[in-house]
Amino acid sequence: MKARILVVDDDEALAEMIGIVLRNDGFEPVFCADGGQALEVFRSSKPDLVLLDLMLPGMDGIEVCRQIRAESDAPIVMLTAKSDTSDVVRGLESGADDYVPKPFKPAELVARVRARLRPGDQKAPETLRIADIIIDVAGHLVSRNGERISLTPLEFDLLVALARKPWQVFTRELLLEQVWGYRHAADTRLVNVHVQRLRSKIERDPEAPEVVLTVRGVGYKAGS
Amino acid sequence: MVSATKQVPEPSSGETGNEPDVARSPNPEHAHAHSAPEHTDAISGVLTGLPFRTRIWLRRARIVGLRVWRLVRTGLIRLLPGVRFLLRALHRRWRRSLQFRTVLTTLLLSIGSFAVVGAYLSNQIANNLFQERLTQAESETLYNVKQVQDTFDGAQVTDQSSVITLVYDTLNAVEGRGSVIQRRYVFEAMPEQTKPRNRWVESRASDQLTVSVIPPELRKAVQESGKDQYWASTEFPVGTEDRPGIAVGNKVTFNGTVYELYLIYDLNTAQKTLDEIQNVLLAGGAVLVLIVGAIAWYVTRNVVSPVSHAAVVSEKLAAGQLQERMVVKGEDEVARLGASFNHMAASLQEQITQLATLSQMQQRFVSDVSHELRTPLTTVRMAAEVLYDARHDFDPINKRSAELLYNQVERFQSLLADLLEISRFDAGVAMLDAEPTDILKLIENVVEDAAPVAAEYGSEVTINCREESIVVEMDDRRIERILRNLVLNALEHSEGNPVNISVAANETAVAVAVRDHGIGMTQSEAARVFDRFWRADPARARTTGGSGLGLSIAAEDTKLHNGWLQAWGSKGTGSNFRLTLPLKQGEAISKSPLQLEPADVGLPGGPGEGTMVRFGSVSSPAEPADGAAPATGRDEAK
Repeated sequence: MKARILVVDDDEALAEMIGIVLRNDGFEPVFCADGGQALEVFRSSKPDLVLLDLMLPGMDGIEVCRQIRAESDAPIVMLTAKSDTSDVVRGLESGADDYVPKPFKPAELVARVRARLRPGDQKAPETLRIADIIIDVAGHLVSRNGERISLTPLEFDLLVALARKPWQVFTRELLLEQVWGYRHAADTRLVNVHVQRLRSKIERDPEAPEVVLTVRGVGYKAGS
Repeated sequence: MVSATKQVPEPSSGETGNEPDVARSPNPEHAHAHSAPEHTDAISGVLTGLPFRTRIWLRRARIVGLRVWRLVRTGLIRLLPGVRFLLRALHRRWRRSLQFRTVLTTLLLSIGSFAVVGAYLSNQIANNLFQERLTQAESETLYNVKQVQDTFDGAQVTDQSSVITLVYDTLNAVEGRGSVIQRRYVFEAMPEQTKPRNRWVESRASDQLTVSVIPPELRKAVQESGKDQYWASTEFPVGTEDRPGIAVGNKVTFNGTVYELYLIYDLNTAQKTLDEIQNVLLAGGAVLVLIVGAIAWYVTRNVVSPVSHAAVVSEKLAAGQLQERMVVKGEDEVARLGASFNHMAASLQEQITQLATLSQMQQRFVSDVSHELRTPLTTVRMAAEVLYDARHDFDPINKRSAELLYNQVERFQSLLADLLEISRFDAGVAMLDAEPTDILKLIENVVEDAAPVAAEYGSEVTINCREESIVVEMDDRRIERILRNLVLNALEHSEGNPVNISVAANETAVAVAVRDHGIGMTQSEAARVFDRFWRADPARARTTGGSGLGLSIAAEDTKLHNGWLQAWGSKGTGSNFRLTLPLKQGEAISKSPLQLEPADVGLPGGPGEGTMVRFGSVSSPAEPADGAAPATGRDEAK
């Protein structure tokens, strides 16, 4: 089955080019050129992944991202022309899983799309614990005291990666490789922002984390 | 009577004089240190026979004395800081307040001038009063001495009692009639003359007076002269006080005996008048000084208050409150100052607002250009890559075109990226996103990433560090960019020789030095490597296709970290780039842990020619820069 990808970009030439590249690699692109209609198109086409330009007519890409995230866990990859810290962080905080800065190589784009579309590798029934959090890996469920906590697939993967090796300290680079699928060093802010989002959902007090701990100067590890 | 008056001055200058003298001594310790042993000496020597009780009393007195002295000393020690504080406060006031300084100066100067004028006036008045009295005294004495002489000459008495009566009556008449004594007299037989048989009167004086009140010089003058009259100032006792007076002396003869007759005129009234005048002068002077001080205070306040107002306003203006203005009243100099100050502030505000707007516009422009250029560039690049990937299906011309297109789009893209990065620095929107990171890990990553390039150039990259890990508060993205740039630069210029990376840290800073042994560069070239679009040799082929902005961006990134980026080069020996970063942001680098000029240069076997010159000339700008403010490569160019 071909994965369907929604491309939200107002630049027709770029959208078409992205379409050519995606089709070349066996994906099925759907296009939307207006931010205001992005949500409608998303609902009607039910894509497996969204490629989202940050600067859009009609509605800001960040707002679109927030709305899609509000009703779906579908992976969102941002296309950004701005690589300024604030814009990237704002995009990630609004719910995007990853970003590709313009100008990007076709291979890079496809790699990012594939990384986010990784089929949930046939997981054996497995239950992990960090602190008082229980993770049902196969069932994609996270709970504390029987209460379910809703996480996006990326956040889930991040938590599982940490929980599988509670004795190990993960550098940001290692997490980028394991969770995001980057072969080469990439922007470690991805990790920072997502750890913060994860903490805001699973920690009792995000200011004093117990589940995902920071190891100063190195990275993160699971709490005991 | 005589003996009683004679004794009066003696005790005052004798025993009683000593004790207050000691008590008034400025150093009480001194006084006690002296008095105590004296006491003990006296006690041991003289008082051995005294009763036991007296000794105890003396001992107690000594203890009490010591306690009092201790109390005084602690009091002084306690007071001293207060006094010092007061002096310091006054000094600070003097330095900081123009008004205080002006008023104080005015007061001191007016006190000085009043003192001079007052002294002159009172001196003048005293002189006049004295001269007047003296003239009167002289003429009165002349008349009275003549009267006395006439009376004595015309006397027809021979027996003792009538002689005495005559003399006494005559002399008493000199004192004048009425209850107020107009003048006093001292009547004394001249010494050293044969004593006639009928000389019954030796000396005679008014109440309380003796011949000792007459100054010896006056007596001598009168005795040695013929019939001349002399005068001198003197003091004489009246009741319990000493009064100033003028003594006028002459001789009279009676029964063949020559007597000295001195008439003493009281200057007390004149002195009192003088005292009163002086009091009036003093009081007037004090009041005048106060008034002058008040006037000075008022006037300076009027002048200074606009100035201090201007100072306050300009301080606020300098602190960024650009809307701050001075209050302008009237048309005087101060008003003109205020008006021109306000004018200056207004144009300053305008300029700054304009600059801020410009900077904002540039920022917007950069951001817009960034987006507008990148989107089509992305399309072009993707298209170029698709064509490039399919180039094997093309004929040779199209294939080569696809390759050129692909490569040049790459180059265009990196140039654009660098340009945008630089303009972000210029617009001042580059932000530091620092957090503690292990710089050794970062360096390892950079070296790993550069491995393919190193292999291509046939160079080996080595890392030299004694530490296991060095955690630095930094923006890893930027530091990685700097180091990647330095390493790739070194590889490009190493000509197949190894590239060494040295890392070291001290308490405040970490240094990374990237050393290559390639073609090197001269000192003047090293000073320019951080300039934008600068190339050591313009004719040199652009092999790596760098934008020419890499080192400029590295310098800007370093500046953002408050670090130093410096270059050293030697033609034919290679070059060394040293990045020094503070371990914690906001802390200053005191000294770089690594030397800028590498230690291996100048070793035997190295090219001797010119090395020494470079050693001296390079080390001089490099090492002082260590102590100076954050120096980037461009600073070093000086």
